[in-house]
Amino acid sequence: MPAVEFPYYEFRIKPSEPFPNGQVALRPVAVAVLVASTGKRLRCLVCLDSGADSCVIPSNFAPVLGLDLSAMKTNLTSGVGTNANVTAYDYIEIDLGSGIRFRTYAGFTPGLNALGLGLLGQSGFFELFNVCFCHKQRRFTVETS
Amino acid sequence: MAVETIDFSVLLKDLPPGAWVAISELDRRVVACASELQAALDQANAQGETDPLVVRVPEQAIGLIV
Repeated sequence: MPAVEFPYYEFRIKPSEPFPNGQVALRPVAVAVLVASTGKRLRCLVCLDSGADSCVIPSNFAPVLGLDLSAMKTNLTSGVGTNANVTAYDYIEIDLGSGIRFRTYAGFTPGLNALGLGLLGQSGFFELFNVCFCHKQRRFTVETS
Repeated sequence: MAVETIDFSVLLKDLPPGAWVAISELDRRVVACASELQAALDQANAQGETDPLVVRVPEQAIGLIV
């Protein structure tokens, strides 16, 4: 099966009491182009997160994409450290490059504004693509068909 | 087929925590930095960078569990 290979991104984490030498976190992150139903687009980072129920992106991306959060259907979502985030949904297209392009019903959540990146979750991403996480080789692959 | 990466630890090193940054993927350099996302995009556009990659400088370089 043809697949696209992505490198893990390295994120350096400052020293803390349990990790006095700091840490290097390897995260399955990729550059993505988001295209909204308005036709507006934004290039950003997304993290493949098999623990996320669906695809979510920062709510402050919405005005840049020409979307009105108050006009969208909402529910409440939560993550570690955040809960009861009002999350508004719309269909967007996500392009990871190399032929990996898909349409998904994504949530715009304030819970991701501080991070400034999107999460690709089970519904709308992992249900569409087979993904292999090869942490030891510092890469992950996404099958393209 | 492999995809290239960007070293954000170098690119974002001296930028203010919490800032939105627009990066030229072609040149691998920061083209704009602002406290608001739209302002960073406007600055990038003014410099002719119409499709920058936007990232946010972490408030603190701490671990991430989502």
